[in-house]
Amino acid sequence: MAMVKVYSINECPWCEKVKNYLKSQQVAFEEHNIEENEADREACYRLSRDLIVPVTTVDGKNFVVSFDKEKLDALLGL
Amino acid sequence: MNIYDFFVKTNQGKEKSLADYKGKVLLIVNTASQCGFTPQFKDLQGLYDKYREEGLEILGFPCNQFAGQEPGSDAEVQQFCRFNYGVTFPIFAKGDVRGVNAQPLFQYLTREKGFQGFDKDHPLSEILTNALKENFPEYLKGDSIKWNFTKFLVDRNGHVVERFEPTGSMERVEKRIVECLEKK
Repeated sequence: MAMVKVYSINECPWCEKVKNYLKSQQVAFEEHNIEENEADREACYRLSRDLIVPVTTVDGKNFVVSFDKEKLDALLGL
Repeated sequence: MNIYDFFVKTNQGKEKSLADYKGKVLLIVNTASQCGFTPQFKDLQGLYDKYREEGLEILGFPCNQFAGQEPGSDAEVQQFCRFNYGVTFPIFAKGDVRGVNAQPLFQYLTREKGFQGFDKDHPLSEILTNALKENFPEYLKGDSIKWNFTKFLVDRNGHVVERFEPTGSMERVEKRIVECLEKK
């Protein structure tokens, strides 16, 4: 599986929930903070057509917005 | 002392003088954080889009003192956050708007325009009052800011002309903004 990317902002309780969930499932991921990094912000926007976080993606095409356990499980094959 | 004497902190940490806004009609709003249930941001952006060219400026001051969720919104808990609140008007640094550490600007605004009660005809008023009685009873005392999205309208000469509680209708806010914009 390609590296899981999580788009986030600072002080985002829902982003924390996603990250903690991935950790609990032993899923490695890269965090991309769209508040601090413009390139990440653009990538997030290109992917989801909005600037809402958390956004989780594996292939850079399919993604899950928000902390949605069911959808995350489906996306990650958990 | 008037509104143009105050300095505020931008979200980049820089000092900004409110005197930079002389001649503009200002709507100063204490806002929820980026992760609350915040349909009011959309309404405020709507006003900004409509009247910015005529001289309206909206200044948002995020604050963590009023919990994350809008009372009465337990139906759909929003499980995401929006970057920059989804708005294009200035959002300043997070800070207190009530209590002992309230920023000087908000101490001034609440002195100029006190609390007149929540709007009786708004469905949220009763829910909000009960939520406050239960969770933050001290917030109901005095003229302090009671909840997110309290708004202060300042005319082009820096006079604080009105205060709207979060229960105030946006139609009335808009009407008063237009009245201020038309006075030159």
